[in-house]
Amino acid sequence: MIEIEHLTKRYGKKTAVDDLTFAVKPGVVTGFLGPNGAGKSTTMRAIVGLDAPTSGLARVNGQHYSQFKSPLTEVGALLEAKSVHAGRSAYKHLLALARTHGIPAKRVHEVIDLVGLHEVAGKRVGGFSLGMGQRLGIAVALLGDPAVLILDEPVNGLDPDGVKWIRLLLKGLASEGRTVFLSSHLMSELAQTAEHLIVIGQGKLLADTTVDDFVNGSGKARVRVVSPDAARLAEHLAGPGITIASPERGVLEVSGTEAAVVGQTAAAHGLVLHELRTDRGSLEDAFMQLTADSVEYRQTVEGAK
Amino acid sequence: MTAAAMTERPAAYVPKGGYRLTGAGLLRSEWTKLWSLRSTWIVLLCAVVFAAGLGALISASVPSDQGLAGADMALSFAMAGVSMSSVFIAVLGILTVTGEYTTGSIRSTMSAAPKRLGVLAAKAVVYGAVVAVLFSAMVFVTFFLSQALLDDPALSVSLGDDGVLRALFGYVAMIVYLALLAIALGSILRNSAGSIAFYIGVIMILPQLATILPWDWVADVVPYAPGNVANTLILVDTSQSTLGVGESWLWMGIWLVVAYGLAGVLLKRRDV
Ligand SMILES: Nc1ncnc2c1ncn2[C@@H]1O[C@H](COP(=O)(O)OP(=O)(O)OP(=O)(O)O)[C@@H](O)[C@H]1O
Ligand SMILES: [Mg+2]
Repeated sequence: MIEIEHLTKRYGKKTAVDDLTFAVKPGVVTGFLGPNGAGKSTTMRAIVGLDAPTSGLARVNGQHYSQFKSPLTEVGALLEAKSVHAGRSAYKHLLALARTHGIPAKRVHEVIDLVGLHEVAGKRVGGFSLGMGQRLGIAVALLGDPAVLILDEPVNGLDPDGVKWIRLLLKGLASEGRTVFLSSHLMSELAQTAEHLIVIGQGKLLADTTVDDFVNGSGKARVRVVSPDAARLAEHLAGPGITIASPERGVLEVSGTEAAVVGQTAAAHGLVLHELRTDRGSLEDAFMQLTADSVEYRQTVEGAK
Repeated sequence: MTAAAMTERPAAYVPKGGYRLTGAGLLRSEWTKLWSLRSTWIVLLCAVVFAAGLGALISASVPSDQGLAGADMALSFAMAGVSMSSVFIAVLGILTVTGEYTTGSIRSTMSAAPKRLGVLAAKAVVYGAVVAVLFSAMVFVTFFLSQALLDDPALSVSLGDDGVLRALFGYVAMIVYLALLAIALGSILRNSAGSIAFYIGVIMILPQLATILPWDWVADVVPYAPGNVANTLILVDTSQSTLGVGESWLWMGIWLVVAYGLAGVLLKRRDV
């Protein structure tokens, strides 16, 4: 359980996080979404006590992070920027952290195997690829077998295999009753991993909802029908609150109703359907709609759209 | 709809007990960190070889008919490389702290030990102890090497002579003091180049330069500068120095308290 209460963080004049309040519950993967510069990394650093809040507070399982007697077994964190000395091997980096808590070397080998760094564990981290560095960061987070995981853009730099692996890993960890909190600026990525969503923009809370509600609530769901009798079907479907578009011959896009209703209408009038499906509207659309006013770093190239 | 949403939420995971963040753990961690960098081995080796080598070289080349005499003269030949070697030690001390900031590993370190001060203490203790052991050995090896190489009987000194043993350990104390000062400095400034420049410029060179200034008060103050307060300890005959042996220890203590006080306050206050 992570609780953020009225968290505000200013760097000089810049307000990175602005009166943020939300909670992350155990047992599910919670996604933390926001455009570049929204304040995700800042919030995560505040949770593990690296950055002190200007006001407000961040608590983990009811306590301030620095009060824990064994921080590594309470919270495992993968932070955005590289957090390893380039001249040290992956093994020694993990070992040095493990020793602070008396965690045995056996556990270090375990997490190295778990993240697939066995072959390169003795090599200097400076030569690691982005993905290898990321795997090491995940190993650090898992080292203490913690109850709470905080991961800042964990899929960054991972290959498709790695992405799939971490998705399963995180879901597995959540199903054991852990709190899993991960950030991303890719909605589509989070939709496949997370069940709950916290969306922020310019440091402010924009949404605190389930992924399903977020997608449905975007109001973009519409029914797509392919039928040789499209024109007649459209006549029967027409009604108040229903809009029908026909992007091409024989295709209808109906919003304001459901696929079941469309199917029943067709059956009632003996019309042939070739295809009937609900378009949820793209997640990225929903996300962009929500954050449209709070995107900080917008590209200004003409015709980018 | 994902499967987990339809089923009951699992009970919150309780971390397995048994592990604790401890002071001993922090010491072992810093020990691991220190020796897992190649630069540690290289710099320490350079420091020792340089100190012993220069001492031996100079001792071997001292002519025997110059009327040079006295224990302090003999020790100054033997320990001719120590002040150079102390720069290596100080730079490595600075890097054990600033290296963490420049590479970002400080974020891992401080999230494992969020109270922070223990990390600084552990770094100081581990590095101070390593330097103390290494230079104790170096000082004695160099002393005997130098005695074997010095021809002039007037420069012959024995460990049992008054103040000689104290002066030899004085060299060790001075190096350890400078190493500790360097760690605090690195923690205050956080930047490798800045800290090294400050150490060499302000701690080492400025007090020497200051002595050529025309004002009398400068000469009165210079012995109390952080880079000078240990100078009495390395003398066999301390009757000529401004600070006595006791005062010298006192001032080393004062400067360390000031440096670590400032470092500690900043470490607590600043974001990592
Ligand atoms: N140490 C700092 N000093 C000054 N400004 C900072 C600092 N850290 C973050 N900021 C600013 O605070 C804002 C939030 O940054 P943050 O890194 O938290 O965003 P983010 O949501 O993680 O973005 P991204 O998706 O690009 O990683 C940005 O405008 C950033 O420039
Ligand atoms: Mg970020």
